[in-house]
Amino acid sequence: MLEVSGLRKVYEGRRVEALREVTFQVDAGELVCVIGPSGCGKTTLLRCVAGLLPPTAGSVKVAGAAVTGPPPRMAVVFQEYGRSLFPWMTVRQNVELPLKEKRMPAGRRGELVAGSLAAVGLADVADAHPWQLSGGMQQRVAIARAVAYEPQVLLMDEPFAAVDAQTRADLEDLVLALWRDTGVTTLFVTHDIDEAVYLGQRVIVLSGSPTVVMEDLKIDLPPERDQLTTRSLPRFADLRGHLYAQIQRARGDR
Amino acid sequence: MNGTGRAVTRVLTVAGVPALLVIVWQLYSAASQNFYVPAPGRVAQAFAETWFSERILDDVLPSLARLLAGYALAVAAGVGAGVAIGLSPRLRAAAEPVLEFFRAIPPPVLVPLIMLLAGIGDGMKVLVIASGCVWPILLNTVEGVRALDEVLSDTCRMYGVRGLSRLRHLVLRGASPQIMAGLRQALSIGIILMVISEMFASSSGLGFTIVLFQRGFQIAEMWSGILLLGLLGYVLALLFRRLERRVLSWHSGRGVGRA
Repeated sequence: MLEVSGLRKVYEGRRVEALREVTFQVDAGELVCVIGPSGCGKTTLLRCVAGLLPPTAGSVKVAGAAVTGPPPRMAVVFQEYGRSLFPWMTVRQNVELPLKEKRMPAGRRGELVAGSLAAVGLADVADAHPWQLSGGMQQRVAIARAVAYEPQVLLMDEPFAAVDAQTRADLEDLVLALWRDTGVTTLFVTHDIDEAVYLGQRVIVLSGSPTVVMEDLKIDLPPERDQLTTRSLPRFADLRGHLYAQIQRARGDR
Repeated sequence: MNGTGRAVTRVLTVAGVPALLVIVWQLYSAASQNFYVPAPGRVAQAFAETWFSERILDDVLPSLARLLAGYALAVAAGVGAGVAIGLSPRLRAAAEPVLEFFRAIPPPVLVPLIMLLAGIGDGMKVLVIASGCVWPILLNTVEGVRALDEVLSDTCRMYGVRGLSRLRHLVLRGASPQIMAGLRQALSIGIILMVISEMFASSSGLGFTIVLFQRGFQIAEMWSGILLLGLLGYVLALLFRRLERRVLSWHSGRGVGRA
């Protein structure tokens, strides 16, 4: 579904090589996490995959089609929830706007908006403005907007980096539940090793800058994940320890 | 304090300083023999006689119409050009020094020039008002559009919000706090230019009438005209503030709501 091959990005003005050679793929319906040491170009990678940033070399393909700009059936949840929602619109209007742009009939639009707001537990605040909600709730709005858009591929850029730990656990379970329900191919970028192991079917480990793929690790945990039991499995600890060592190595390489 | 007491305090607070000013004015005019400072009562009488008459139709309304026309022209040109310049870094680099130069020219000196180009009719006055009002609107719009949030801009790109829809939902709304600030500055400039443009080669309007009274030694009438202009500016500012509160409710709410 998503193929990234030989992706390279050099920022011209600064002559910084952010990505050297990144190659991986994500099959339809998979949930894959990307981790790496801080400053390793995770966001650059995501922006290239999203078509927001032209790569210097290499290619990104979604369902076989090369990405040259934001693909029509791709949705993104950004880290900065406070800046990715329109403050002058209500929660409902925020979720609805992309659907209006798709020229979707009003009836179907209403169903999708109501359905996705209910799915993230925000049905009762549809007429509030985003700034009236807590950070975790704002990120739920952004997730609802992405889900209502019915994407083929969902990108998430460290979506829970700025919320507190409890909210974060809730949101992780929300993402898992939505992913199971919709089967949307998901690429989840995070700097949190635990989060990557908990959510992912696979974890792609990036090296320090200039970035290459260090490891493509299958997460062989039972498919049903639970904050308490999954995280206390010995295998969880093994995977976590392994990835931790990898990240330390990546940092040392620099 | 009970409700009535609070209302009384409020009225006293609001009306206290104006009342004091009128009293000082009254005392001064009673004590001095200055012909040019009539008593407030005399000015109030002149006000009623002068302005509650056909002058409203002949002078006040044409003035207001020209102000509105010039202001509307400036809003259209200022916001339009401001959005274009704000969205294009290249255009901005080319245009910005020139804009700063034009803004630095005091608008009243353009009156003689515009008179030569546009004659002495209504068109000239509308142009003078527009040419003064346009700069704060333009420059503030450029600032506002330039400061649009990148994440929001990326969001629009990802979700296919482009073209006119992007202009409406992202650019204009995002820049609206700065645009409104420009509009507020332009309003007071507009009133000044409305009066000044009517002091040149005019046969009607508030500025013309005030000069006419002054030359005819109708001093109380002249004062009443000044009073009317002050009230006019006050009412327009009040209306503007109501509009602003509506347009920017999300903006002020966001500031307070972040607790």
